[in-house]
Amino acid sequence: MGEHKYTGPIAGIFQKMADIIGKDVYYVNFLILMFFTLFEVAAVFFETIPGTDIKITRTAVWGVLIVVGIIKGYGIAAFFMHLKGDPFIYTRTALFPIIFAALMLWGIGLSNPSGIDELPSWCTPNWDYSYVTE
Amino acid sequence: MSGSLHDVKNDVWMRAVIVSVILLFVGGAAYGAFAVGVGSVKKTDWDAADEVLVEAKTNWNLLNETEAGGTSEEAADIHEQKKDARIAYDEAKEAEIDAHLSYLTWITAGKTLLVMMIIYAAFYGISGFYNSIQPEEEHDDHHGDDHEEHHGSASPIMMAAGLMLFMIGFPGFVNTCKSLLGLDYQAEMGDFGLSIVGAAITIIGIGNWWNEDLKGQHEQIASSDPFQGQDIRKAGMWVFLISETMVFASFFSSYLRMRTGWCTEWAVDAGKCEVVDTITASDLLRHEVGTLLPGAINTFALIISSYTIVLALKVAKDTEWKPSENALMAKMFPTRKKAVRNYLIITLALGSMFIVLKLVEWSHLIAEGFTIDTQAGSIFYVATGAHGLHVFIGLLVMLFMVFKADVLEDGYNEQNGQGIEYFGLYWHFVDLAWVAIFPAFYLY
Repeated sequence: MGEHKYTGPIAGIFQKMADIIGKDVYYVNFLILMFFTLFEVAAVFFETIPGTDIKITRTAVWGVLIVVGIIKGYGIAAFFMHLKGDPFIYTRTALFPIIFAALMLWGIGLSNPSGIDELPSWCTPNWDYSYVTE
Repeated sequence: MSGSLHDVKNDVWMRAVIVSVILLFVGGAAYGAFAVGVGSVKKTDWDAADEVLVEAKTNWNLLNETEAGGTSEEAADIHEQKKDARIAYDEAKEAEIDAHLSYLTWITAGKTLLVMMIIYAAFYGISGFYNSIQPEEEHDDHHGDDHEEHHGSASPIMMAAGLMLFMIGFPGFVNTCKSLLGLDYQAEMGDFGLSIVGAAITIIGIGNWWNEDLKGQHEQIASSDPFQGQDIRKAGMWVFLISETMVFASFFSSYLRMRTGWCTEWAVDAGKCEVVDTITASDLLRHEVGTLLPGAINTFALIISSYTIVLALKVAKDTEWKPSENALMAKMFPTRKKAVRNYLIITLALGSMFIVLKLVEWSHLIAEGFTIDTQAGSIFYVATGAHGLHVFIGLLVMLFMVFKADVLEDGYNEQNGQGIEYFGLYWHFVDLAWVAIFPAFYLY
């Protein structure tokens, strides 16, 4: 339960930070989750970077939300849910639905024929909607 | 492999009945303090703000009807008065909205706490009473006798039957509740009674399950691939979480499909379209600290609760645990058993706060006209409501874990700490789902 040392390119960074401050990885993970939550709220809340006139664009906010979501998701799944350290079968189990979720997001989520976002064609399934209009 | 791990007498469940009475008092006190006490003060403030608004509006209307005088000086004077009246009206309107939302905050918090405490009390009271009157088990030492393995449990059948009755009567139950709240609905007492009986049977089924878990069983190990050698309950929890992932994926894909077709403030800012045709919850929430605060606090609350449940597990598994040298921490967590219990109580409190703030936030959104009968409203309330329901179900499980941590002689320890670990997986998943819901519905 946190006594063993985490290794690997990302988990190793968490472990190193934990060693530096003399706490366990759970604590470091908790701090990182809190920090990035503040960061994503700030990214949406401020229209310009505080102290400057540099405008925060919608695309930049999108990027921040997605990257922060991935970091927070990794932190929770790897350390709080112990996927890092547990047998690999649990990671495989956790990843199993991801492909179906991705298919749903692509096949349903991005398939709006009257979407205003002008999504690129590779991103949007070319469904035949003739059954709706005929 | 048979027999109980812990020698727990059934009369220990009377403690749960006592706790249920205390919870009812807490709920009543919270309702009295928040909804009746502060709520009535806020209602007076709201009424006063409303009167000021009516006065400002009347003044503004009167000035608008006033014909400008002949001289340019008189016309300028009327213009100035109109300008002042308009400012006063706008200020009065803003003050009235603030007073209304402040009133809703306290009244909703009070009502939510009361209802939550009644449900908590029902779980403790009904299951506690049911388990306390059960005959004590005979303790014959048949450990290791394979014929005694895998006792079937009646709990799932009881819960399923109870839920069926509850759902059959549910529409009538809702209408009767609305009627009892003074709304214009016809009470349907037959269906209401059916739902109550169904809820009671469900709770008894859950209570029976609690009793079985309190006494404990040896952990069953999977004997074939792909989970060979792993705890069956842990593997089962992960498979369950797969299905939960798909539930939330369906919400997100529906949301994404609708969202790509809306011309929202965000889409206009990004240059995708020109005229806003849909107001989303995030348009109402993300621009001001006050409106974004409940969602942001809830995000922090869930992260902190994820951490506290990890700490509960860590302490339970740590055979060399010692109290902190910090005086306050040592007082809060004096022994291993109490440390685990108190970390669980903190998690329970944070989860309860999440539900209260969520409903406060919903009440504000509904007051501002963002209701479930719009496309944006329906997906928002269904997705965040389903998540809230998951949190609430987790809290009901946690009620038992707090009880177990308190009544077992050693509480949770290195031998039975898996219960916290497996529940923790569910709780972290709920946190993980919020990591996606919060930016998607509150920030974007």
